Amino acid sequence: MIQEAAITSAFGEIQPLLGLSIQASELFGQEGIFGFFTNSILVGLVVLGVIWFIASKGTKEMKLVPSGIQNGVEFVVEFLYNQVEGIVGEKVAPKAFPLLATLFLFIVIANWMGLFPGVGTIGFGQTTGPLTVDSHDPNFVPLLRPATADLNMTLGMALCFMLVWIWITIAELGVWGFIKHTFGPKGGLTGIMGIGIAVIFFVVGIIELVSILFRPVSLSLRLFGNIYAGETLLHTMGSMLDGFGAIPSFLGSIALPLPFYFMEILVGVLQAMVFALLCAVYIKLSTTHDEDHEH
Amino acid sequence: MGEILSSFGVTWAKLIAQVLIFLIVYSILKKKAFGPVMAMLEERKARIAEAEKNLEKTRSELEGAENRAKEIVAEANAGADRIVEEANATAQITADKKLAKATVEAGNLRSKAQEEMELERQQILGELKGDFGRMVIEATGKVSGKILTEKDQEKINEEAVNQVGL
Repeated sequence: MIQEAAITSAFGEIQPLLGLSIQASELFGQEGIFGFFTNSILVGLVVLGVIWFIASKGTKEMKLVPSGIQNGVEFVVEFLYNQVEGIVGEKVAPKAFPLLATLFLFIVIANWMGLFPGVGTIGFGQTTGPLTVDSHDPNFVPLLRPATADLNMTLGMALCFMLVWIWITIAELGVWGFIKHTFGPKGGLTGIMGIGIAVIFFVVGIIELVSILFRPVSLSLRLFGNIYAGETLLHTMGSMLDGFGAIPSFLGSIALPLPFYFMEILVGVLQAMVFALLCAVYIKLSTTHDEDHEH
Repeated sequence: MGEILSSFGVTWAKLIAQVLIFLIVYSILKKKAFGPVMAMLEERKARIAEAEKNLEKTRSELEGAENRAKEIVAEANAGADRIVEEANATAQITADKKLAKATVEAGNLRSKAQEEMELERQQILGELKGDFGRMVIEATGKVSGKILTEKDQEKINEEAVNQVGL
């Protein structure tokens, strides 16, 4: 499970990296009714709880003149709505907003969850002391893993988006409208040129269809890859000085990952933004009527 | 494809579990956050629009009231001016009447007084003539030592009065 890669640095070949497994770990074993319950699902549930708490607290006894947490929740919702409306337009925004805003909020909180101390480092494995485990142990199972560092979650979100995308697109254009939008020739040319253009646009349509089918893959792998890489980076930096004595190891585990924490805060929000923005752009591209282009 | 997915730990059970978590988050946010917040934003927008409308209405009403107040003040001023003018005119007329009456009364009093004075003068003059004539007759009678007749008395009396200029 643990990546047993070795690095060669200025210090020489030091040890197998404390890498994060590419798969989420099952907390109750792979067999049985809870075989699906992984550490990323646990963090996903924590994210769910956090969102539930903030949403409930922020909208409980709402006042016309907002204050406190209501103010914050209103600011976030209004800001996100304006962003979505700016991309997909006034007409589609009410349909697209709930999913796009949920994607952004869920991803950003799930990403930042990975930065909490203990995520990926507290778990079950070979004990090395009363409260410590050998994190290099191949059988080490972390208790917590960022939900977005699991392909199941990112793929699930991408598939949900694709279903909503299909619904919005069909609702806006209709089935024939979508086929015409994808394969139909544009430019209004007739004659030989028109036939040539039609063939070209048909081929372009097939390419477009393939790109649409690959969207869930690209969306999910991009997010998963970035967050998984970030987690691996933090763990690697944290264990860089392991084996150089207790004090250097302790200081190294604090100082070396520190700059990368700031980067991961940025990456967390950036990846959430990229995911939600791409989804918004996909909706915009498919729901824009051809006559709108010509205007 | 299946092999690639399983190398990433993707299984139907885990995928469905994660999708369920995401859908629950979606439902919570839609019900607890987006719905109420959007409704509140709409309500606030409506309230602001209504307040703007009311403000405009109040402003126009205020403008109307101010104009009306100005009109009333102008009317009151005009009324007051008219009343003052009327009062002045009335006062002038009254004063003129009073003056004329007083002048007439004064004239009457004066002429009456003059008449009385004239009457009194004539009376005194008459008495004086009588007294003077009697004194002259008596003096003449005593000086001449004769008894004067009626005719003499009358002649002496007339001459004396003419000489004195009474």
